[in-house]
Amino acid sequence: MTGRSTFLSALGAATVAVAMGTGAQAATICFAFQDLETEFWVAGHKAITTTLADAGHTVIERNANEDANRQLEQVNDCIAQGVDGIIIIPQDGESAVTIVQTAQDNDVPIAVFNRPPSDTSKGIVVVADNATIAEQAVDFVAQKAMEEITDRPIQPLIIVGDLGDPNAVGRKDGFYAALAKYGDKFAEPIEVASEWDAATALANLEAALTANPNVDMIFTSSDFLFPTIRSVLEPRGMWKPRGEDGHVLLAGLDGDATACKLIKDGLVDATGVQDLYFEAQSAMDAILASIDAGEAQPNQVIEDPGFALTADNLGEREMDMWGCVLLSEGFLNN
Amino acid sequence: MTAMLSPAPTAPAPRRPARRPLARALLSDWFVLWLSLAYFVVLLPFLPTLGTPANLVNLLSNAWPLLVVALGQTFVMTIGGIDLSQGAVIGLTSTVAAALIATAGAPEVLSKAPIWGLLIGETGGVLAGRIWFGILAMLIAGALVGLVNGALVAWLEMPPFMVTLVSLITVSAFAIWLTQSENIRNLPDGFVALGKGEIVSVYFGPKDTSQIPRRQVHDLVTYAAIIAVALAVALHWLLERTAFGRQVTAVGANRKASEIAGVPVRRVIVLVFVLSALCATVGSILYSARLEAGRPTLGEGTFLLDVIGATVIGGTSLFGGKGKVIWTVFGVMFFVLLSNTLNLMNLSTFHIDMVKGGVILAAALLDVARTRLLRSMA
Repeated sequence: MTGRSTFLSALGAATVAVAMGTGAQAATICFAFQDLETEFWVAGHKAITTTLADAGHTVIERNANEDANRQLEQVNDCIAQGVDGIIIIPQDGESAVTIVQTAQDNDVPIAVFNRPPSDTSKGIVVVADNATIAEQAVDFVAQKAMEEITDRPIQPLIIVGDLGDPNAVGRKDGFYAALAKYGDKFAEPIEVASEWDAATALANLEAALTANPNVDMIFTSSDFLFPTIRSVLEPRGMWKPRGEDGHVLLAGLDGDATACKLIKDGLVDATGVQDLYFEAQSAMDAILASIDAGEAQPNQVIEDPGFALTADNLGEREMDMWGCVLLSEGFLNN
Repeated sequence: MTAMLSPAPTAPAPRRPARRPLARALLSDWFVLWLSLAYFVVLLPFLPTLGTPANLVNLLSNAWPLLVVALGQTFVMTIGGIDLSQGAVIGLTSTVAAALIATAGAPEVLSKAPIWGLLIGETGGVLAGRIWFGILAMLIAGALVGLVNGALVAWLEMPPFMVTLVSLITVSAFAIWLTQSENIRNLPDGFVALGKGEIVSVYFGPKDTSQIPRRQVHDLVTYAAIIAVALAVALHWLLERTAFGRQVTAVGANRKASEIAGVPVRRVIVLVFVLSALCATVGSILYSARLEAGRPTLGEGTFLLDVIGATVIGGTSLFGGKGKVIWTVFGVMFFVLLSNTLNLMNLSTFHIDMVKGGVILAAALLDVARTRLLRSMA
């Protein structure tokens, strides 16, 4: 069975739900995304476009190639084309506010998928509870660190995302909230900026580990940076599985297939999981319901509570994580 | 003996009449306008959305800021140079203005930025709400970048490509450093109106109901349109009707000859680079206002492709000595129309950029053909 066909089968239930839940009216939906640079966005894009198309809706795709102005122009083009609704993955929280306002000014319902606007009071906003999810993942590795290191303060490091993205802010807050519970058992965290860019993260992490070689635990604000972390840790002898000397405790957030594999291999200890399918489904359900109801300016926040997949609960919750589902279907082999 | 081996001189063959209209069309100021109209008419039956009022208004609103930036590039290319730093100027000036005039600052986003507490705090920028001071600061910052570019090109005789490439890298990095890559929101309403505000809106259709849906009301005359058109008219006058304009063309055509003829070549070069940076700054005002945020990364990516592409498509010569504001107006219109139609064809971004690249290459080849044609007719 090919990866595509198995992926479609995984989405089968969701497809039926969209088709049944929103009546028979076929709609034209503009799906404007900023780029597809991570597994999360690729899987989210596939979930949304495939499900909508299978349910008989027309999907107009627009890729802004990480250019906020281009995305605004593309959304305006979509509005001119007379689309019934818009689903957007914005470049950042600020441009999202402007684009949501533009759509609502033109009476086109709009849903923002996963990357919320700085002001969440307008539009349908589907967002993970980043702070809580991050806190759960970091809490797990913090406790493991305290079990292993008792004679000195533990040195944590956080790879921060683009702080113009509220997701990155929430994840950073969750990281600090987890450590705050344990007071002076942890040294002042080292912050490494990534700007959601692997090359930037690589350069900054190299510099940070050269200056501070005794890092005990690392939290990356997105799983897509695990390969980058590996390329920095491996030459330093710090990329070791659990139980071996030199293992650095690692946690991330997203729940992608790479993270799933690394947890199974013992190289990563935990990751916060955003429920990709729940978020995609919620965005589609909400936008189609608004179109059916003739509601032009729907305002709603749909929160994905998420959870943390850890080395300890891997056996029980593995298949609740979208990345593990994709991994089991051979996603990383394709 | 050499003369004996050469073919006997013959009278030039009369040009074939069929080629004359083609040559005239190629050399016409209006060539790109006719091309745009033909392109529009040919595609209209296949893309019905293309001619809708909503789409035409989109075309115009996308054209104004691009036109403003391309006008500056026109002057630089006319002197035989190129300005790769325009995008960086846009990012820098967008950041500077937002930091100064924002009415509030977000500490969770900006507290680690070097400008936090210096230019902007929780209560906003040091010039919070004072739009005109902010714009003045933008213009000064932009002009300084242009001045450095121009001075290096004029006095050190460094290639414009290298000078502006270095500016692109350093100025972009400086803008990103200022805010640590974060965007600055909460721009004053008056500033946002410069990019989004309308003066005249129109509705086409019967008035069946008391309330016209907002979607069917189109912004026809906007502040951005007024700014772009006014700047285009002013720069057209500058290039076509003043001694400075003639000096710009002369420097591009032959720098040595211009120097011998007494043209203040260095001063012209510096002023042209300053003018280019100022145009980029005005473009920054329009882009920042329409996106309602100061962005250090504004003008990055493929933006420069659009600016240079529109200018070259218009007919401004890559070799210098030939450039007109009206050509750039038509070039921008064609370029925006091209982007719009490719979007309406639902092509992917990658295909769109490939087509744009191909069209720019075609325009560059056309420039070579026009130059040869002019020489053969001289």
